[in-house]
Amino acid sequence: MSDMAETGVAPGARGGTAGAVSLAGVRAAVNGVALWCPDDSPAVTGVVAADLMSDVLVDARPGYVLVTGLVNVQVIRTAAIADLAAVVFARGKAVPADVVDLARQMNVPVFASHDTLFEAAGRLYALFGGGPAEAGARRQA
Amino acid sequence: MIDAEFVRAYEIAGADFTNAGRASTGIKETLKNMGLPSALIRRVAIAAYEAEMNMVMYARHGTMTLHVTPQDVTIDVRDEGPGIPDIALAMQEGYSTATAEMREMGFGAGMGLPNIRRNTDDLAITSEVNRGTALVMRVHVG
Repeated sequence: MSDMAETGVAPGARGGTAGAVSLAGVRAAVNGVALWCPDDSPAVTGVVAADLMSDVLVDARPGYVLVTGLVNVQVIRTAAIADLAAVVFARGKAVPADVVDLARQMNVPVFASHDTLFEAAGRLYALFGGGPAEAGARRQA
Repeated sequence: MIDAEFVRAYEIAGADFTNAGRASTGIKETLKNMGLPSALIRRVAIAAYEAEMNMVMYARHGTMTLHVTPQDVTIDVRDEGPGIPDIALAMQEGYSTATAEMREMGFGAGMGLPNIRRNTDDLAITSEVNRGTALVMRVHVG
């Protein structure tokens, strides 16, 4: 199992700018608000959008951002277990204080966006120049 | 890197969704402190987390015991619970007996056991209906 982040290579984006995208770029793309983010300069290697955390554990690679409509502490634990770069909570849902507190404890940057999951995923797909195609190829392996 | 055997056990309480994932997070931290490769740690952490969530969702009580040697990282998972009547069926992606409450937590997609298998080098499952389930999950070091 090879990890793209281990080699410092972002997944191949079709004519895209993957690898140059930072957390600040992700936040701006989804008109997000930082709920906790001490440093928005780290690079993001890709994006996974899902509400089922087992699907996240299958599809995400280290350094990905998770976009989700699910708001609870398991989202943060999943992000930490899978070495994700950050979580974007979509759909303008209220994010409880215990979720933000756990994110701080586990060092997982969190953002909130009023975009629907579809809109946020679409904007980030475009930001990555068509998105990381490699994830789909891996699933069929 | 570890040069001797290391063992640590974690207790898991069924239906305790507030603390679900803490044991796996502890396992991940322990392996990180040992200086093991991050890709290996991630595989073990994901397998442990799926197993822990399964116990929280279905079992009354369980334990996860982490064994680390220079050759392998092994997690021995044992629970007291309903057991799995058909292990082959449970290993199929998408098969799930999860309740609505479990799905609201973001789990119960029917990917737990397949995801454990995907992230481990060896996986042994034994189960007895109305007694419990045991998993031995192993990832080779190096």
